Amino acid sequence: MASGVTVTDACKQVFEKIKTKKDYRYVVFYIKDEKFIDVESTGDRESSYESFLEKLKIVNGAEKECRYGLFDFEYTHQCQGTQEGKKEKLFLMSWCPDDAKVKKKMLYSSSFDALKKALVGVAKYIQATDHSEASPEAVEEKLRSTDRM
Amino acid sequence: MSGGVYGGDEVGALVFDIGHYALRAGYAGEDSPKAQIPSVVGVLEKAASVEMMDVDRIKEAAPASEKKYFIDTVALNVAKQDLEIVGYLKDGMIEDWDVFEKILNYTYAKCIKSESEFHPVLMSEAPWNTRAKREKLTEIMFEKYNVPAFYLVKNAVLAAFANGRSTGIVVDSGATHTSAVPVYDGYVLSQGIVKSPLGGDFLTMQCKQLLESKDIEVVPPYMIAAKEAVKDFEKPKWTRKSNLPEVTKSWHNYMMKEVIRDFQSSVLQVADAPYDEDAVSTIPMVHYEFPNGYHQDFGCERFKIPEALFDPSSIKGVGNTMLGVGHVVTTSVGMCDIDLRPSLYGNVIVTGGNSLLLGFSDRLNRDLSAKTPQSMRLKIISASGSGERRFGAWIGGSILASLGSFQQMWISKQEYEEGGKTQVERKCP
Repeated sequence: MASGVTVTDACKQVFEKIKTKKDYRYVVFYIKDEKFIDVESTGDRESSYESFLEKLKIVNGAEKECRYGLFDFEYTHQCQGTQEGKKEKLFLMSWCPDDAKVKKKMLYSSSFDALKKALVGVAKYIQATDHSEASPEAVEEKLRSTDRM
Repeated sequence: MSGGVYGGDEVGALVFDIGHYALRAGYAGEDSPKAQIPSVVGVLEKAASVEMMDVDRIKEAAPASEKKYFIDTVALNVAKQDLEIVGYLKDGMIEDWDVFEKILNYTYAKCIKSESEFHPVLMSEAPWNTRAKREKLTEIMFEKYNVPAFYLVKNAVLAAFANGRSTGIVVDSGATHTSAVPVYDGYVLSQGIVKSPLGGDFLTMQCKQLLESKDIEVVPPYMIAAKEAVKDFEKPKWTRKSNLPEVTKSWHNYMMKEVIRDFQSSVLQVADAPYDEDAVSTIPMVHYEFPNGYHQDFGCERFKIPEALFDPSSIKGVGNTMLGVGHVVTTSVGMCDIDLRPSLYGNVIVTGGNSLLLGFSDRLNRDLSAKTPQSMRLKIISASGSGERRFGAWIGGSILASLGSFQQMWISKQEYEEGGKTQVERKCP
């Protein structure tokens, strides 16, 4: 079941840029006029995870809006018997805080599937509703869960 | 997108949410349903002596039908001779289509006050609804009610969306049963649905037994003409209405049930740990006055009855054949793919009128954390307002149907005419 919200080409283009050229560190998406998912902001490669969270969560000075975020997460990983190496994984997060309006929550959660289908090649999908679920530790744990030891 | 886009943004769609206790109906985009109509109707077999009080009931167009239907609280609660109470749902699915149509007719005429052919309709359904019933419903809506567009959504999905989640496990504790329904990406995983008959009606039955064993007579308000104030535990002083007609047993039971239901929602509370007589005896008692004026304090009974929801072995005579709420959830999660389990336990969505029992979600949280591995992150989500919890699915439907983008999702009249009733399987998975 989906809401019928569509994804604009701008989202797909920006996604290709982050996936293949690594132009950005993160992208924040929002739903425009209850009809299309569009790009709200992007962050360059130097941006930190904290700045991403800030962009994702704080809209008009309050934490009451829902958003989608795409982040290229970097962490070190060591396979057994090999050198420690850096790893980068893309994850897509839906951010729906509990105190957002029901209408927004409904809109964003029912449209997440459309965005998932449009952006092919994301390692993990994360559904976050509070700070603990969006924290870098929680995210890293989720990304590592599918790594080989 | 597919062809049948329903024209215009100003749709004025209607949303129907069918529950065992009541049918909720209203316009999409509003915060709460316009009407809540009990899911039972009064049926009078013969057409005699019904000329009075035309206001409250639908006039039957065809005089050939011998049955008179009495719908909605106002008409239902008047004592009448030979009025039998019947429901139209069974196990969350529509069983008696005639009665269902009568209720819909009534809703259109009295609550919506508009013609059905002007409004698209979004309906909720039980997640385990069968294909035959879904197709029949689609057929009725298009053929009989001539709706311009129709959509059918599983109520668990609506509840999950309304809580901001497209993945999670929806624990719905309603009148007739408690169910756990895993939802992934907005789709119900039907192999993982678990149901238990322990719901609000079960508690009502237990309360009735308790009151009987305590020799407390439950007198529905319709019998009472006057009452006097009495002291605690004293025999009630009330006078019976003199001109009561001879009512049927089913109707009397229905009125009794309404009283007990009120007792249940005002007195019962779920203990936050497994029932322990010593622990709960320290909690203050709750006072309740029955319609006939009898009143007393209730102490540990108020914890003992709802305990059965979580620990069915405490029910006399039933034993271990039923699943408690915590068990329903763990069984359901256990039937889903192992990779999904963390996201299900991380999003346990509690909904349904029966979950409004004081302490319900706290106890569920406790029971689940005892049953799940330490590393599993557990989060119980429940809307805080009682309206949001009772009408959770309706509100979700209301928002969905009012979205501009939802236009292309409807099954339009044209699509129905081209593809027939099987469209419902294709468009509303």
